[in-house]
Amino acid sequence: MPLLAPHIGSQMVDLGSALLLLTCFAIVAQRRLSACVDLFALQSVFLALTAALVAFLTGIHHIYIAAALTVVIKAVVIPRILKQVIERLNVKRELEMNVNVPTGLLICGALVILAFFITQPIIPLGFLLTRDSLGIALAIVLIGFFTMIARKKAVTQVIGFLVMENGLFLGATAAAYGMPLIVELGIFFDVLVGALIIGIYSHRLQDAFDSVDTTKLTTLKE
Amino acid sequence: MLQAITLVVAQTIVLLAVSPYIVGLIRKVKARFQCRRGASVFQPYADLAKLFRKQPVVSTTTSWIFTATPYILFASTLAAGLLVPVFASSTPLSFAGNIIAFVYLLALGTFFLMLAGLDAGSAFGGMGSSREAIVASLTEPAMILSIFAIALTAGSTNLSTIVHKTALMEGIVTDPSPHLMALAALFIVALAETGRVPVDNPATHLELTMIHEAMVLEYSGRYLALIEWAAGLKLLVFLTLIANVFAPWGIATRLEPAALSIGLVTYLVKVSGLAVLVGVIESMFAKLRLFRVTDLLGVAFILALLGLVFFYVLRG
Repeated sequence: MPLLAPHIGSQMVDLGSALLLLTCFAIVAQRRLSACVDLFALQSVFLALTAALVAFLTGIHHIYIAAALTVVIKAVVIPRILKQVIERLNVKRELEMNVNVPTGLLICGALVILAFFITQPIIPLGFLLTRDSLGIALAIVLIGFFTMIARKKAVTQVIGFLVMENGLFLGATAAAYGMPLIVELGIFFDVLVGALIIGIYSHRLQDAFDSVDTTKLTTLKE
Repeated sequence: MLQAITLVVAQTIVLLAVSPYIVGLIRKVKARFQCRRGASVFQPYADLAKLFRKQPVVSTTTSWIFTATPYILFASTLAAGLLVPVFASSTPLSFAGNIIAFVYLLALGTFFLMLAGLDAGSAFGGMGSSREAIVASLTEPAMILSIFAIALTAGSTNLSTIVHKTALMEGIVTDPSPHLMALAALFIVALAETGRVPVDNPATHLELTMIHEAMVLEYSGRYLALIEWAAGLKLLVFLTLIANVFAPWGIATRLEPAALSIGLVTYLVKVSGLAVLVGVIESMFAKLRLFRVTDLLGVAFILALLGLVFFYVLRG
């Protein structure tokens, strides 16, 4: 039984997705590594709020569980792991990028327009009240992908990967009111293990090359 | 006709009278954050009165631009302020110009201030002018785009119409996302244009990084008073624009004494709140390096662009 008028609920979901996209741009513009992690945690909180709102509007209860897991895993546990990695590796500053910040922002702006352009013919076919968020979700996935390409250090590449995952979660919520709970649980477990593995991998990288710059992996070593 | 003239005069008086208070309020908030008691919020009035009484000193190498600039700056800023609805949603002067006139009236003042900075031939003035030119050229696209995003939702570029329609929630697209993006962009633009902290530091005369203060370094006496007053006015005009375009609730939509007094009180509360916010931001953030300013203004530009894109995408 919907408690809010559908168009207002739909606009609130749009607003939540817009906030997610806003934090994406903040991550792209941010040069400091620990601030990137904080922004990712903030983005996950926005994602959980949006998901909870969808659950409230539709009365589908398993989305609440996914939202709660998002807060616990993506807003608390993973940022903590990443901060530990940053602290132990002494990589407080992230200055190396393959493109500079204003260019990166412009590319991301173009990616958003591209995402909207691609989803434009699909959106009117949908009938869910979250359908407008599909374009934003695709844009977030593309920006996460761009972050992985544009940043050189392993830790920021993890953040790009996690942002992509947030985009996929939003896309699933937008397109189909979330995936079945068992699939969500599997994905959460994968993401957590992925973050752990990349943490360990950063340590190994640091040991081998005295740096977490992934471009060094292309140089051969005896 | 008489009513319109009274309203214009009243708006002029409110803008001129409130702007030093806003400057004083921001200084007070910053002082409190630094655990100082700080000067009274009415200190800028005393400063202006003192400067007006002092004799100006004008360098012999300057041309007419140097003496004309304070008047041009003050007049253009005030004219821009009169285009923005302050406490009543219909400004009588709204026929005279829309949002675009507003942007370029402010740009006119900035342009003459840059010329005046170069005019005296001091190294500092030229440096300030060149930096101001960078900042101004980067803020302009962001400002125009964010304002267009708002103009599209209201279906008009006239500020009075935008505020009136938003206040009554009639005939506008009430989707919050484009508004939110445009608000964030316009807030960054306002901080950059008025020389506040992430871009410029208004509290210093002795730094190599200063922008606005470097341009006005040669001014003294009543010229300096006019420039300082115009700077306060510009800040107030931006805060008014943000407050009334994004949260026009409480503004007088009819010209009745009761509605007008409520409008005036809510206006003062809103701009004071925004001034406190500016003070908090100045206390929390460090000034950006000059070459990082492009990053911040790039964010503002992208936000404004997204606001515009959202308007087209999300209304379907």
